[in-house]
Amino acid sequence: MFSPDFSPVTVIGGGIAGTTSAIALARHGFPVTLIDEQPAAGGQIFRAPSPYARKTVPPNHEFSGGDALRQKLAASPVNVRFSTRVWGLSPALTLDLIGPDGIDQLPPSTVVVANGATERFLPFQGWTTPRITGLAGASILMRDGGTLPGQTVVVAGSGPLLFSVAHQVLELGGKVAAIVDAGHRSDWLRLGAMLSLDPARLTQATSWMLRLRKAGIPIHHRAHISTAQETETGLLLTVSDMDHPERRHVYAAEATACGYGLKPTTLITRTAGVQHRHDPIGGYLEPVTDVAGRTSHPDLYVTGDAAGIRGMAVARLRGLITAHAIAQDRGGISAQTYETLTRAPLRQLRRLEAVSRRMLPLMNAGSAIPAHLQDETIVCRCERVKAVTLRSAIEAGAEDLNQLKAWTRCGMGPCQGRMCEDSARGLLTAACGNTPEEAGSFTARMPFFPLPLTAVTGTFAYSDIPLPKAAPL
Amino acid sequence: MTPALQSRADVFDIVIVGAGVMGATTALFLARGGQKVALIDRQDMFRAASGVNAGTLTLHMTRAQLIPHAIRGREMWLNSTAWLGEDVGALATPGLSMAFTEAEEELLRQRARVRQDMGAPIEVVSPQEAVRIEPGVNPTLRAAAYCALDGHIPAYRVGGAYARALRQAGVTIIENSPVETITHATGGGYDVRVSNRAQPVHGHRIVLSAGAWLEKMLGWLGYNIPIRCLINQLVVTETLPPVMGSVLSIANGLLSLKQFANGSVLIGGGWQGEGNIHQGGTRVIPENLRGNVRLAQYVVPRLDEAQVLRVWLGLESETPDAMPLIGALTPDDDAFVVGCVHSGFTSGPYMGRLLAERILGGNPDLSAFDPTRFSTPTATGPKS
Repeated sequence: MFSPDFSPVTVIGGGIAGTTSAIALARHGFPVTLIDEQPAAGGQIFRAPSPYARKTVPPNHEFSGGDALRQKLAASPVNVRFSTRVWGLSPALTLDLIGPDGIDQLPPSTVVVANGATERFLPFQGWTTPRITGLAGASILMRDGGTLPGQTVVVAGSGPLLFSVAHQVLELGGKVAAIVDAGHRSDWLRLGAMLSLDPARLTQATSWMLRLRKAGIPIHHRAHISTAQETETGLLLTVSDMDHPERRHVYAAEATACGYGLKPTTLITRTAGVQHRHDPIGGYLEPVTDVAGRTSHPDLYVTGDAAGIRGMAVARLRGLITAHAIAQDRGGISAQTYETLTRAPLRQLRRLEAVSRRMLPLMNAGSAIPAHLQDETIVCRCERVKAVTLRSAIEAGAEDLNQLKAWTRCGMGPCQGRMCEDSARGLLTAACGNTPEEAGSFTARMPFFPLPLTAVTGTFAYSDIPLPKAAPL
Repeated sequence: MTPALQSRADVFDIVIVGAGVMGATTALFLARGGQKVALIDRQDMFRAASGVNAGTLTLHMTRAQLIPHAIRGREMWLNSTAWLGEDVGALATPGLSMAFTEAEEELLRQRARVRQDMGAPIEVVSPQEAVRIEPGVNPTLRAAAYCALDGHIPAYRVGGAYARALRQAGVTIIENSPVETITHATGGGYDVRVSNRAQPVHGHRIVLSAGAWLEKMLGWLGYNIPIRCLINQLVVTETLPPVMGSVLSIANGLLSLKQFANGSVLIGGGWQGEGNIHQGGTRVIPENLRGNVRLAQYVVPRLDEAQVLRVWLGLESETPDAMPLIGALTPDDDAFVVGCVHSGFTSGPYMGRLLAERILGGNPDLSAFDPTRFSTPTATGPKS
């Protein structure tokens, strides 16, 4: 009845979703290649800690969970390519890679995109001064480097990472001067009421909150950092109430970690041309997928947070379900077997997703900030573009992000708009009243990150260059 | 004009389809000449070739016959404040075209000669002289053609300047509005049907300036002119310390290399990518990326320190004889075309101004660009 198609599958991203998917695909009999930019599997949450961090950071769930995942991967027949990044791809899904041996290309295969999330950052006056980092960056520094961003830290932004990062600062012996949250306190209480559906999250949240309360850390809800000033010893941070800007607090700290939730990483899926949609609750663009990660491209699947931010536990389930779906789509298993294999994971997924969706508005609580940026605030750090420059381009008729980019250079720099896209879009939609869909996204361009020119050229002689025929006289 | 027509907001003296350099310049000068002008684009203005090209002001790469126009176009860019109202950042630099093999040297001398004959101040110089002018070039070159009149513009900046000038001149800009058909209107003029409008935009006269999309539109008016669409690759590096001060190219014309004021180096030259202008989407051909970048690194060895920041593709349209289409399409003088100009960014503003002059009743010499030279309109084509 079946003529299974066991042609190769490539999984991009060795986090929990990608690794789980790769192992399950190999078990179904597919030749699987797993690509990740880090030297080991684990992604952001289960990242392999440095030997120093193993000594300084107290044993935790992320270390043990990551180690277990890496062991399972090592015991599987999955072909791994670590320290390797995808810098481009074709619609037929040829992947352009750069790794320890330079540039390479993978022929078309079925591709599972599991490249996770990107932190959303929203600017404030003075944010480009040193000692200011993202929440995710601070977490990596502490969890996997065993190093504090500063002895005293103001933790700011929105979403659950606020409390995770504050907890990690205390864990390493640092001091949290304040937690500044753009979200409403009542939204957190509503989320708390749902946590009984997700006992693991409930336990973690309770222990964090108890510890933070014991340390007597001030928490400001519906507030944001409005300015940062560099001082001799660190930073002077002004915290403003979002609904009553005249209500202010000033904190001195050695560093601040600030981030406004997560968004799916979409460079690869956008380049592949799959259909995307704007999720109004998450405030981000996500690829349109079914529950198993199928997209509008028949050979491209998206799994884990890359398909919409749902967190670690959902990512693992999604990775598994995607692998089973590919097995079914390729005739490796019957629809009935698929149903049997996915019944329990799908049930679990639905329960956990209900909680995850509650987190989205908390992560997106800063969405009104870009509309009120001060004129002199830098929006695009790579190209030093200020809010006032964007506003005057919008006034001249730039009504979508790409026109804004062309006329101001905002988003043209090395980070390809990862840092400024959300604030530029927020500013644009507020100024001309168009929707996020109309404002669009910066066109994704290859390479996805700067490539050494010599990696492209390699060793060559002049006669190796296939010069096209001369232009007309 | 009947009162009924007058009351309709979408009736114009002239409707221009295609808001790039050619169409926008035509629009600007027509509006200043007292015409009521609408400028329509399928996307935002200046987002196709005019906004993403290499920004080279070049006499080396422009077709020999177009040298006089390129010289005038270059002057307009350098004096943009005078006619566009703001400085678009055009910079005058020398230009060097290089030869590394015997065959290339022969080509270089031939190309330099025909351009000299057309008035370009190009002279062939020794390798030593080339290295003196531009210390960053590979000293193994055999010869170089030097032109004092080259330069460059950050092309992406130009659209914003045009937007402000056009609005000030009273041009109605209709963006993100793909044109579906153009038909003769009963009672004269043309109805331009736009996908997102219930009513057509009516022009007593029309100008087609839609670059790569011209073939289809000329077809609506009964002209069957095959227009080839080139999909030109561009590569930009991260900012570097100064490695060059001139615009560099090679003898066969397939490299353009320059460093902008911010330090980024732009590598172009017309290496091809893949794409389909009707279905949309373009893609880089990896071998062509490698070839183009190798050539650049060979010409300026210090580019080995660079990081490739971005690769993109821009469209260029070309007629069967690689000469422009500029002028009237009808004996009634109510439909015009401007486009398919080789190295069109350099001469673009001048070409647009010439067409505006022609439409306003002047008599500039456009004989070499006569759009009716390829075919006579089919009998059924132009009438609706």
